[in-house]
Amino acid sequence: MHPFGRYPNSSLKDLNRVACVSALVDAGLAVSDVDAVYAANAMAGLLQGQEMIRGQSVMREIGIERVPVTNVENACASGSTALRQAVLAIRAGSADVVLVAGVEKMFVEDRSRTLAALESAGDLDVVSGIGLQFTAVYGMRLRKLIAAGRLTVDDLVAVSVKSHANGERNPYAQHRKVVSPEEVLGSRPIADPLTLLMCSSICDGAAAVVVARRGAVRDNSKPTVRIRASQAATGYTTTGNEPSLTELCAAAAYAEAGVGPEDVDVAEVHDAMAPAELIAYEQLGFCSPGDAGALLDSGTTQIDGSRPVNPSGGLSSRGHAVGATGLAQIAELTWQLRGEAAGRQTERPRIGLAHNNGGWLEGESAVSCVHLLERTDPWD
Amino acid sequence: MGLNAALKVPTTAERPRDNGHALVGSRCGQCGATSFPARAVCHRCGTAAPAEHTFAATGVLLTYTTVHVPRPGLPAPYTLGQIALDDGGPMVFGQVRTDGTEPEAGMAVRVRIGAPSETPRYWFVPERFAG
Ligand SMILES: [Zn+2]
Repeated sequence: MHPFGRYPNSSLKDLNRVACVSALVDAGLAVSDVDAVYAANAMAGLLQGQEMIRGQSVMREIGIERVPVTNVENACASGSTALRQAVLAIRAGSADVVLVAGVEKMFVEDRSRTLAALESAGDLDVVSGIGLQFTAVYGMRLRKLIAAGRLTVDDLVAVSVKSHANGERNPYAQHRKVVSPEEVLGSRPIADPLTLLMCSSICDGAAAVVVARRGAVRDNSKPTVRIRASQAATGYTTTGNEPSLTELCAAAAYAEAGVGPEDVDVAEVHDAMAPAELIAYEQLGFCSPGDAGALLDSGTTQIDGSRPVNPSGGLSSRGHAVGATGLAQIAELTWQLRGEAAGRQTERPRIGLAHNNGGWLEGESAVSCVHLLERTDPWD
Repeated sequence: MGLNAALKVPTTAERPRDNGHALVGSRCGQCGATSFPARAVCHRCGTAAPAEHTFAATGVLLTYTTVHVPRPGLPAPYTLGQIALDDGGPMVFGQVRTDGTEPEAGMAVRVRIGAPSETPRYWFVPERFAG
């Protein structure tokens, strides 16, 4: 990974270079070992004007040419969508080693350009001009649950405090500051019930992952992390009385891996606004509907709990460099499963779940991806 | 009706989106699924049966939020809502304009259609103000 944050002096090429070279060095591989690249990015076309060959343009900086580079854009789920393409390429037998990389540079001189680019994650033909954006979509989802008695504002505050506390421990995180409940509640309103300290912010960063066929990586010095399930789904026109997109995508991932939510030891979930972690508890099957606040209160999802969620700080504190986010989740889970997460290491996890959503339609996300990872080596 | 009927539907720009009083979209002749704006093929049953349909002008406010971050041409705060249109109509997002009182989830709302040049083209008001 390239740490998430604000890097005015680093270009897309610089951010991508650090993430990709770090991943290749970690895997003990050379640039010449890479058979194919899936390059994720969501906003460089609008923000940097680099369209069409975003991946090719950043990959040549690290000497990757000739092999197929495929550009992947899928809103906030671009990174996990790229990972899925890599998994499919390896399963199809067309590659042994695939580099998957995500890069985003959201800090530009005029902040309103970034906000406008984020607003394009809806169907503009339908919602253009009404002022709909991510925070509003999440604000509406959360208010619905509060009105139904399934969440309280205190729950929203508590999960935001947890997110920041985890981010403080993560050297790759954008926001590394512990905050108090009073600070969360007292920060300026964004889209009620959301306040500033509940929300992810504009962010630069990059993340990369090497995916290889079994046996293709010679270096056996590190525990192996295997991808047990890779699922993606598109949002649908809902009547409001159907299972959520995340539930469907997670169910497919659990079925593919032959495991259930009870088997998940650590999870990185899509919390573009910290309270969305609570919605994910229910949709991923970690608790029953209405029990998300109680699950949080029980300490189960803390770093030292029995099922830690977002030990990285999640999108809201680790940061949400849109096109890199899904791969930052995979990097975090890989470190967790290998026991390399230092000050935020969870207790000997075996199964990790990554949940990455993107965009919005009427009532649903436009994209959902769920991956299940497994540490295959014993812990002792 | 075969799928090739979808080749002959009017372009999206030619399909009406309101009639001055209510939103206009499509309703599937096969399964009844509704959509705003209208679509060429039904999202539920996959047939090319959606027909132009005028929805109820009233609906229920499912949830809402007040946005405090201004955008160019859109002074804050403003309120957005998710509305389920009555009589089996679709769920839509739209601004909610009140006389300053806080909206309420579950509240009855009525659509207002603006002038052709206006942005946004439609918004919702509490039914009790609509008269
Ligand atoms: Zn139908």
